Amino acid sequence: MRHLPRIARRLSLSLAICATLLTADALANQPAPDVPLAMADGQHQLADYRGQVVYLDFWASWCKPCQRSFPWMNAMQNKYADRGFTVIAINVDTERELADAFLAAMPAEFPVAFDPQGNAPALYRVPGMPTSYLIDHTGQLRLAHQGFHVQKQAQYEQEIVALIEEMESSK
Amino acid sequence: MKRKLVYVSVIVALSQLGGCASLGVQPWERDLLAKDEMALGAEGVDLGLDDHIYFSKEATSGGRSFAGGGCGCN
Amino acid sequence: MQLSHKGSIAAALAGATCALLGQSQAHAETDSSVLKDWKFDTAILYYGETDRVSLAEGVVSATKTNSDDSIFNVKLVLDTLTGASANGAVAQPTVQTFSRPSGKDSYQVAAGDTPLDDTFHDTRVQVAASWMQPFADTWRGTAGFNVSREYDYMSLGVNGLLEKDLFQRNTTLSAGLSYQFDSIDPVGGKPTPLSSMMVPADDDYDDEFEGEDDDHGAKNGSDDKTTLDMLFGVTQVINRRMLMQFNYGLSIVDGYTTDPYKVLSVINTNGVTQDIVYENRPDSRTKHSFFWQTKYALDNGVVDVSYRYATDDWEIDSHTIDSRLRFNLSGNSYIQPHIRYYQQSAADFYQPYLNQSADLPMYASADYRVGEMTAYTVGLKYGRTLENGHEWAVRAEYYQQDPKNAGFEQPGVLADLDLYPSVKAVILQFNYHF
Repeated sequence: MRHLPRIARRLSLSLAICATLLTADALANQPAPDVPLAMADGQHQLADYRGQVVYLDFWASWCKPCQRSFPWMNAMQNKYADRGFTVIAINVDTERELADAFLAAMPAEFPVAFDPQGNAPALYRVPGMPTSYLIDHTGQLRLAHQGFHVQKQAQYEQEIVALIEEMESSK
Repeated sequence: MKRKLVYVSVIVALSQLGGCASLGVQPWERDLLAKDEMALGAEGVDLGLDDHIYFSKEATSGGRSFAGGGCGCN
Repeated sequence: MQLSHKGSIAAALAGATCALLGQSQAHAETDSSVLKDWKFDTAILYYGETDRVSLAEGVVSATKTNSDDSIFNVKLVLDTLTGASANGAVAQPTVQTFSRPSGKDSYQVAAGDTPLDDTFHDTRVQVAASWMQPFADTWRGTAGFNVSREYDYMSLGVNGLLEKDLFQRNTTLSAGLSYQFDSIDPVGGKPTPLSSMMVPADDDYDDEFEGEDDDHGAKNGSDDKTTLDMLFGVTQVINRRMLMQFNYGLSIVDGYTTDPYKVLSVINTNGVTQDIVYENRPDSRTKHSFFWQTKYALDNGVVDVSYRYATDDWEIDSHTIDSRLRFNLSGNSYIQPHIRYYQQSAADFYQPYLNQSADLPMYASADYRVGEMTAYTVGLKYGRTLENGHEWAVRAEYYQQDPKNAGFEQPGVLADLDLYPSVKAVILQFNYHF
């Protein structure tokens, strides 16, 4: 395909944004789209985690609520990892140094993947930063939350526990 | 250069249309916009001090946001 | 090792987690700074005009961000002003004598000089606070108040702002309302509009003056004014690097807008002052302002340009262009040149003097600040972020006002005098953020 004139491309992007607005609700109750996970120790796939309850979090160093979510995600990871649960956090910073600086100040005790191209958030049609998805052990997307609200931590935890219990009772 | 000007002016014009014809970024593309220095009211203390000086030395003031009161004239 | 994964992925993850945990030890101390919820902005400013007013101002602004993203801000401003200010009278080829605002003393102005009243000395304290509350995901409400007090002036205000994000926060609409009540209690009382300024004689003025009792320069009481401001804005993200704001503002002032310390010279056909009278301004003013601002993120800096057009029923139209260009010198320092240009037309009641032969107008002011003028500011700011995350900055600027003759004649002795002298000022500022 020939290069579109810039303005046309710009317009099509606008229309693309519009299209996503019309379906602004985050994905739920469907198979979680598989995405590659580029981690510090190499390349993984989200599908590799099938069989675990996954809290998939999209975050960025520049996002203020993300700072508040990290201590809680660490706590969840430490509390439920041995029951087959994991947090996976996909960073969307375009500059890796900024993500690294954030992690230096706010260390993550769960797997972190880096997606500077924004492919994964585009696939998930992430409506805002942060957005988190709960994926059950069969790989189904079950819940999505936009933003991180400290007051709702107990509710988030209940949702995780419910999926863990569902997994445990199915065995 | 000329083409760039046209490009910029078209964007400016489009931005005025609002709504779905408007421009923007995806939620995960706000890294630059989220920087403190990109906030419209960045350097708020400087803007406040400037407002106070110009408010007392010129006939027009405000427009940007609400400034605190007081005369501090002359 | 708290994690228990299965198979090779688990091992790999454990390795990654260990690496991250290793980092956590080294940086545990900086943990708190990321989540720090109170931030302080402080500044001291010096503003000094050549031979005229100088101002020292200090600001402390404290901002607390809560876990629900609501923001509380409280700001304290203290300033002190001293020096001389143009009183509105025209220069004369002879020495002139004026009464001080108290009416109990006088000052003299040399031949050829613009009359400056050097009485001014004032201290102002201002406290402002606001609360911003996000709600229903895409809405924000802000409520605030401010109180300011100086020797002869008191100001109280409340304001509210409602903001709504649209289109994934790419567009923000805002509407705000502010109501301000100002009360002025002029030194020596409020002068009767366009009445003559009584000038005490050089000797034994005390006796003579206190015996006076007529409408000549009669001064009594205080007065007030109210200001209602409305502001409607649209903010639009253009692309990853650019955003724009457009505001329309309506301001309605009702009450005492006169400057009780400003006067006009009444001259004869030869330009010689015959009398000095107090100014008088209309008791209302309606102003419209249109403000446009754009910010553009460079790879190593920010371009910030704004333009404001304002027009009001005093016939003052003004144009303001303000631009700041931030260049990051490194990851932790920047320089920022600042250029501002301002231009205003004269109020319809502005005149540099009154003619003795003409009838007294209803409203008149010779205050150059409501006359035609241009002004510009050039400045440079340097800022640096310290190891501990604190930031400091210094700013030095030069500000010059060039009042213009809006088409008035300079008869007789005024022909050779400078009725529109420039005002030159320097601004020095130091900021500290922690």
